[in-house]
Amino acid sequence: MLGKMWENSPNTAGRLMNKNLIAVLFTPLLLLLVIYPLVALLLNLELQGIIKTVQDRLFWDSVKNTVLAALVAAALGVLLAIGFGFLHLFLRESLLYRIANLMNDLPIALPHTVAGLALLLAFGRKTFGFVGPTGLAFTVTAVVLAMFFVSYPLAARAVASAVDRMDLETIDVARTLGDSPTKAYIRIALPSLGEALFSGFVLAFARSLGEFAAVIMFGGNVPGSTQVLASYVFTKVEEGELAMAVTASAFCVLLSLSLVCGLSLGRRRLA
Amino acid sequence: MLKVDQLFKKFGSKIIVNRVSFAVDSEIRVVVGLNGSGKSTLLKVMAGIWPQDGGSVFIGDRNMTHLAPEDRQVGYVPQHPALFRTMTVKENIRYCLRNGRGSEEMVENLIEMLELGEILHQRADTLSGGFQSRVSMARALASNPQVMLLDEPLSDLDVAIKEKLLPQFKKALKALRMPVVYVTHDAMEADVMGDRFSVMVRGNLSGIGSAQEAFDVVRSNVS
Repeated sequence: MLGKMWENSPNTAGRLMNKNLIAVLFTPLLLLLVIYPLVALLLNLELQGIIKTVQDRLFWDSVKNTVLAALVAAALGVLLAIGFGFLHLFLRESLLYRIANLMNDLPIALPHTVAGLALLLAFGRKTFGFVGPTGLAFTVTAVVLAMFFVSYPLAARAVASAVDRMDLETIDVARTLGDSPTKAYIRIALPSLGEALFSGFVLAFARSLGEFAAVIMFGGNVPGSTQVLASYVFTKVEEGELAMAVTASAFCVLLSLSLVCGLSLGRRRLA
Repeated sequence: MLKVDQLFKKFGSKIIVNRVSFAVDSEIRVVVGLNGSGKSTLLKVMAGIWPQDGGSVFIGDRNMTHLAPEDRQVGYVPQHPALFRTMTVKENIRYCLRNGRGSEEMVENLIEMLELGEILHQRADTLSGGFQSRVSMARALASNPQVMLLDEPLSDLDVAIKEKLLPQFKKALKALRMPVVYVTHDAMEADVMGDRFSVMVRGNLSGIGSAQEAFDVVRSNVS
């Protein structure tokens, strides 16, 4: 009997491997590289660290700064993405569109420290000295601008890909009924882009929540003022307060997970 | 009168509309041709949706060639009804009024003529194919255009529904006494709708005596 099993097994194993090869490779890699680090973080949570962090006013200040700045950055991102959607629909041959499209890819390829430095030079003391001793740098506005710079492309891409899926003949018909391109975009295209605008907002918001390098370069890391969750974690690690850093990190994970769930639910409702 | 003179359109190096010239009085000119012969492109260029690469389009004495679609006063009914799906039927038909086109009276007449009274408050995306085609037609006619361009407006429908809608469409188009260009590749549709006929083969348009002759030319060009 054993001999018979052995005889059959190479074929069975071969079939199984062919059928499930990807699953067989994917599952351990997912567990090891994505899920395990998050579990390791959560397993290092300590009650004392949680209590200390929850009682730290600077932690709540950083949460407030992060959420508010990310909300404003995402809203700005969606506004600009609406403009990009218009170019994508009506002016795809223009130089302006080509530049805007290139700029959508740049922040993804660019190190965010470089983005932060660019913002610092553009809006810092030398050029914007008239608004304050450091220009816009190291203010909450700087945090918003840094978050916006790295998150806007996600909103723009969401809108552009929804424009590509639209029934473009509705726009053609609207034009023959007297709509200028702007009117057709506002009256016909935008109402059908609801899901994309929502997705773009949530993606930009989520990206902004996690931004560190551009924020620290341009907004700084001033506790209670421009410190965000990512820089709070960094500071706590530097200070040797690992338990507090782990608590703040776990809070970030929960926040991100609830955002992702919210996005999925919202999409289903809008679909 | 609609007058098209030496109209020319190409995509890359491929010529799609090859120096087409024709004139249409207050009549229905049916254009037949195989898929890909350039019929839809001809209509889109005449409507100003796509820019031409040469030639001109006149409506009466007005040269429309370089005007945007919103300034041409052309009614356009695409192959798929392309209704504004988040709006009701009534909002679709009345759309042109937002731009100061057409009139309430015209809208009411069209609702009656195309028997749309019962579905006025339904959302456009809940309608059957037959109703969608009627709403698309009413929406274009409501803007009081000087020319109507119809691109296979009934191609998505079953024969039985087509047979019912064709006389309704013809009556509505004839009532407004304007030049109509009606593109189709359906012999019955061409026969019922057409006053005059043209056939389009590989971007070239030529006038022809009857729907039957037009389809004979199309058949002889099937490779």
